[in-house]
Amino acid sequence: MTSNSTPLYEVRSVSKNYGNVVALRNVSMSVGAGEIVGLVGDNGAGKSTLVKILSGVYSPDSGELLVEGVPHVWKSPHEAMAAGVETLYQDSGLALDLTIGANVFLGREKVKKGFLGKLGFLDQKAMDQEAADDLERTGIAVHASKRTVGQLSGGQRQAVAIGRAVAWAQKVIILDEPTNHLGARQAGEVLSVMKAAKARGLGVIFISHTLPHVLEVTDRIIVLRLGSVVRNAPTSEFTAESLLGTITGLHVGTE
Amino acid sequence: MSIIVDPVQESSFEKPDRSQLWYRRLLANQQFLLLLVTIAIFVFFAFNRHVFASAGEFGNNVTNFCTLVLLGVGETYVIATGGIDLSVGSTVSLSGVVGAIAMEHLAMHSELLVLSVGTVVCIGIGILVGVVNSALIHYARLVPFVATLVTWGAGAGMCLVLTGGAPIGQNSGAIALTVPKIWIFSYPALIIIAITFVAGLFLHLSRFGRFTFAVGSNAFAARAVGINVKRQVTSVYVLSGALAGITGMFVYMRLGSGAPTAGTGQELIAIAAVVIGGARLTGGSARLSGTVIAAWMITIVSSGLIFMNVSPNYNQVAVALLIATAATAQALRKSARQSS
Repeated sequence: MTSNSTPLYEVRSVSKNYGNVVALRNVSMSVGAGEIVGLVGDNGAGKSTLVKILSGVYSPDSGELLVEGVPHVWKSPHEAMAAGVETLYQDSGLALDLTIGANVFLGREKVKKGFLGKLGFLDQKAMDQEAADDLERTGIAVHASKRTVGQLSGGQRQAVAIGRAVAWAQKVIILDEPTNHLGARQAGEVLSVMKAAKARGLGVIFISHTLPHVLEVTDRIIVLRLGSVVRNAPTSEFTAESLLGTITGLHVGTE
Repeated sequence: MSIIVDPVQESSFEKPDRSQLWYRRLLANQQFLLLLVTIAIFVFFAFNRHVFASAGEFGNNVTNFCTLVLLGVGETYVIATGGIDLSVGSTVSLSGVVGAIAMEHLAMHSELLVLSVGTVVCIGIGILVGVVNSALIHYARLVPFVATLVTWGAGAGMCLVLTGGAPIGQNSGAIALTVPKIWIFSYPALIIIAITFVAGLFLHLSRFGRFTFAVGSNAFAARAVGINVKRQVTSVYVLSGALAGITGMFVYMRLGSGAPTAGTGQELIAIAAVVIGGARLTGGSARLSGTVIAAWMITIVSSGLIFMNVSPNYNQVAVALLIATAATAQALRKSARQSS
């Protein structure tokens, strides 16, 4: 196998149980550079568990995680982040009392040069400026980065969360229901941010219940049902009806 | 497939807000309002009793302020993480008592050595209480209120056990040191004010402070980005304990002895200062300047009432009124912001 065809991020035969409940059974999937993969399934299909394993919140009971072909074991989400895998959580991972700039740099603060920096004093000006630049580059314009995130509307908060994830992602970005609770226009903005991330060569994993969004933006769709992958195929092979049928299991797509 | 159109039609694109005039911004600043009220209270007392504005009385107030402000500083850090520290009052007493016992043993040595050792012992006791608090929170899984209630009770009890109820030591040299030397400031007061200033810089401008607020605002988000939440929480309780230890030493110096009830009730006044100063008890939002102004306000109200011949027994009632007023003002401002 050439390095060209090695997936950016891959899970192989991952299983996870909660007591007697099987959450994931022998799941394999991957995302390549510059690819948007849709991860869909009904409630309880195992999406959330898979996302948490991908992002390093949970460890799988068995199976492997590989970044660019190299096996990794995440002891914390932070380790996954350090390896270039960023996650946007469904219940936003923003600190509402902190400013936009502070949130974008949370956990990766820039300190001043010299002695003050050794004491941990922050270079807030540089962070605010860079945060604005980062967000703008990902297609999100939120001015006045000195406002707290709590002062923003739901759509703006989501924009900041996505901007942060895209700005920091070196390899893979996992977006768990990023268009939830958003109006049509903001959802459209989120989808274009994903396309921009793809154009930058990032691998994007997009988890959503909104099937039109999934069909619009993904290259490939992976369908989970009752903890197993039931279909993994290019988006062009799905129609809205066949995708819905595959998710619910009430209809078998034409193979 | 129908597209749900957002009724508000808001966009993530937004222009900077320049509509607010500078004086409106200033009046919306809670710490500034607090400063205005504090000045008004001072003017009221000074107008009624001219001696209230004298350097001598200012010096007294500074000394009183120094027995409170560091407790407020520690409490501000703790409350910013969403916790609370009820143990600081007991820690003031306990560190003073243990420090006094240690200093009694060294009485024949030079005063500088005695006081230095006393300071180290006091801070050590404070750190110990902070470590116990965080151990109770992290390992016994107690909520901060209960954990620090435990050390509050244990500390107060230890003081009585160690002293039998009577103050320990009689150090007139220490008392002399708390007399103002530079205008209205004694040397220890200057140190305490400097610590307060530095603590403010660290809370609002450093990574340590940023992590403190992040933990209090959204512990999940903080953990997800790699912030060691446990370590941060431990650090703030240890800091709060250490600052209570320093206060314990200052109170010892002021009394010239280690009194078992030296800090009784101080924890509630410190928490009051933080609340009046505008912090949110659920964490994530606090201003050290607010705490400091509120501590000064409580100090001058307490001494002002004495000047007005009001019985000192009304002190707590006055502080309670201040809390009620500040909390109400906060709630009103919040609802005004939401409806605008």
